[in-house]
Amino acid sequence: MIAVAVDEDVETIRGAADGITYPILIDADHVVTELYAISNVPTVLMIDEDDNIVQPNWSAYASDTFRELTGINSETQMDHIRAWAKVGTLRMSPEDAKGAVHDLSSEEEQARLFFRIATRLRNDGDAEGAERNFVTAIDLAPHDWTVQRAAQPLRGINPFGDAFMELYTAFNEAGRPFHGVTGH
Amino acid sequence: MANNDIVMLEGGPLIDPAALEDALGWALKPEGLCKDDTCVIVHDRAALMSGDRVDVTAVASLIDRPAAHDATSDLVAIGAPRDLRRAAINDMRAPDFTLPDLDGLPMNFSDHRSKKRLLVAFSSW
Repeated sequence: MIAVAVDEDVETIRGAADGITYPILIDADHVVTELYAISNVPTVLMIDEDDNIVQPNWSAYASDTFRELTGINSETQMDHIRAWAKVGTLRMSPEDAKGAVHDLSSEEEQARLFFRIATRLRNDGDAEGAERNFVTAIDLAPHDWTVQRAAQPLRGINPFGDAFMELYTAFNEAGRPFHGVTGH
Repeated sequence: MANNDIVMLEGGPLIDPAALEDALGWALKPEGLCKDDTCVIVHDRAALMSGDRVDVTAVASLIDRPAAHDATSDLVAIGAPRDLRRAAINDMRAPDFTLPDLDGLPMNFSDHRSKKRLLVAFSSW
């Protein structure tokens, strides 16, 4: 297992990493969300010994914390992961897996680049420039959680407050656009 | 970053052609835009240039990489080659990447090749 934090907050991630032995990587620039067309977390992929993606972007949970919102039973998902790890059972046929993830639109690509510029300006102490570029990124990809929600703590917005419900409502109204597959 | 997967440039998109290879891994040569043994033919070289400077966003477009320019700060961000993501989406081939671990030490995804890998993207937000 390799965990990638789509996050710049190393100390918070470190606090949650106590006792964990698998690698935890920090992706402050959202490299992996660009390379794998990831639009929300958690997103899980199963990749075999030969670099083949046998389970593309999957909204899978390690606990039932969000069950009320998602309707997902994490234990069923964990069973799929264990079965693959032990005996190689695939959750999706290769035909279904192929084409399960839509490519990023050019707006979603651009949003990732402006997010990166915003993060850089924020680190350089240019709060105004950071905000300008975060807003540009969000306008380009308003339903992409790795853009809008990831920007919230960096913009001084509580990601678990009113802003979450606003985004969640807009996301539902947009038909829950997700680059990947959901369900058990 | 390995393979210049993502790039951030200061000072706007117009750069000295001699700096192009450092920035993007591709150099402007008489035969075209070249990286190692591969060259892309440049049909309209003048369209890449502004005086004696080369426009990195135009070069990025030619090698199928996205680019964004914030005119106020003059920062230019260039994204990964789209081929890498298309390999994941269309061919189910996992693109490699290099990221720091919690101690800041770089790790390649490919360091774990020949094992089954569960790749989990998560966050604190």
